[in-house]
Amino acid sequence: MQDGTSARLEIALRTDGRGRRPDSARLRRLNILVGALSLPLFIGLWELVSRSGTVNMVLFPPPTVVAAAVLEWIRSGQFLGDLLASLFRVTTGFIVGGALGILLGILTGQFPIISSLLSPLFHILRPIPPIAFVPIVILWFGLSETGKLFLVVWGVFFTVWLSTHIGVQKVDRGLIRAALMLGTPRRQMLQEIVLLGALPYIVVGLRTAVSISFYTLVAAELAGAFAGIVYRIEIAQQNLQTGQVMGGLATLGLISFIADRLFAALAERTVWWR
Amino acid sequence: MKLALASSSASVESARKQPAIQVSNLSIVFDTNRGQTIAVDRVSFDVAPGEFVCIVGPSGCGKSTVLNTIAGLEVPFEGDILVEGSRVYSPRPDVGMVFQQPHLFPWKSVRRNIAHGPRMLGKSRTEANAIADDLIAMVGLKRFADAYPNTLSGGMQQRVAIARALANQPRVLLMDEPFGALDAQTRAVMQDNLLELRDRIKATIVFVTHDIDEAIVLADRVLIMSAGPGRILREVAVKLPRPRSSSIMVEPIYLSLKKDCLDVIRAEGLRAFNQSDAS
Repeated sequence: MQDGTSARLEIALRTDGRGRRPDSARLRRLNILVGALSLPLFIGLWELVSRSGTVNMVLFPPPTVVAAAVLEWIRSGQFLGDLLASLFRVTTGFIVGGALGILLGILTGQFPIISSLLSPLFHILRPIPPIAFVPIVILWFGLSETGKLFLVVWGVFFTVWLSTHIGVQKVDRGLIRAALMLGTPRRQMLQEIVLLGALPYIVVGLRTAVSISFYTLVAAELAGAFAGIVYRIEIAQQNLQTGQVMGGLATLGLISFIADRLFAALAERTVWWR
Repeated sequence: MKLALASSSASVESARKQPAIQVSNLSIVFDTNRGQTIAVDRVSFDVAPGEFVCIVGPSGCGKSTVLNTIAGLEVPFEGDILVEGSRVYSPRPDVGMVFQQPHLFPWKSVRRNIAHGPRMLGKSRTEANAIADDLIAMVGLKRFADAYPNTLSGGMQQRVAIARALANQPRVLLMDEPFGALDAQTRAVMQDNLLELRDRIKATIVFVTHDIDEAIVLADRVLIMSAGPGRILREVAVKLPRPRSSSIMVEPIYLSLKKDCLDVIRAEGLRAFNQSDAS
């Protein structure tokens, strides 16, 4: 068998060292350049439009004002508290909701009797938007942390439950038959075959749940809180501090983007055989 | 004392004569949306220890169903299946199976796939890996011991599946069209590999295929089945010399055997055709 380097050498020799068609390489470089310019261009344009006098600068502050507001927010010491409060709600809710979703998804996916008992109920509750629960959550839990966690857990749970349930049911029957023929005891089938077979589905469900946990965080903090990124956005709005409102939005976008990227990287490692 | 000796030698004698697999009066009924269908109708055959039997027949004749029932993956409607003298209720480790698709565990390396069976039977990781490494050498995949299934070709995956089925040292190896999904060249190589392997493992093999050439090259005996309902039409003993390879396919003795088989299949095909025409 030919190894990579000698194959590359041969291709280089046969194509006079160009390897690829030259226009495709040029196109690729152009794409990278445009990609690198995307954000600076957008921010520059925003700055120009805000300062041009055609819009109200108080309602539509330029990026420099937003940046100054964020710096001030950080310097006041509130930023760290807000960030930690929001991250705590999202992560705790995600972990609890995810764990419950996986557990019940395995149970309903594996045992038809449990599925018959719970699936109808879950299918009725699942489509109700978590935000619709805000009023009742306030009645039940007041403005406590429990209520906020409840909302995030609720949002995460159903997505993860459904994808786990489907994943467990879609485990390749062939793998199960092969494992049976190799003497795999029924009680070890779950950990050896079913869980790993369902893992790609579970991971997709969890990744969807990452963004859902941020949606529900917004609902939870708007309903009344004492700290948090979305809470701060609301306060800033009431004081007409539009710079901080936009800074809060950018922060929210950034942390959910980072969370999603981190999760994607983690998922790739967990389901490496895909 | 003398008596005991005599009786023990008699039981050795009877154990030797006992078939590895006894299928008697096996019928299998499937529930379909138009009622029940008889997939397999009163099929009986024995397989001697160490024998290599091929079952050929058109698709839908129930040959795979028969194999799955011997494996304990399906339940007979009536009739009995004995393997090594004991009735089959469910899959058991002394019966190994290779399916048409390799069905390798995608999250396990080649070595861990093959070691899975011994691990499940309570062997230590070291022992199981040693067994796996021996089999990896036997199927010629030493360079790929740590590779994952999705990086292997179809032929290599099926070699891993065969090694995995052999890891529990089954007395009986069932093979359900294992080379059916491979291209012609790979298939010929795999047949030769299997013939070589067979001389070393001494297992009883039942091999299902719809390829008459494959059946004659491999088997000691070919069972030809008909479809609708599945029955055994004819048994053909393959008295070709061993060791064999697929190059035997051009010898006159091979061709006359093949003609015998094809005559049976053609007559049955015509009968089925006329029957469907009349009704």
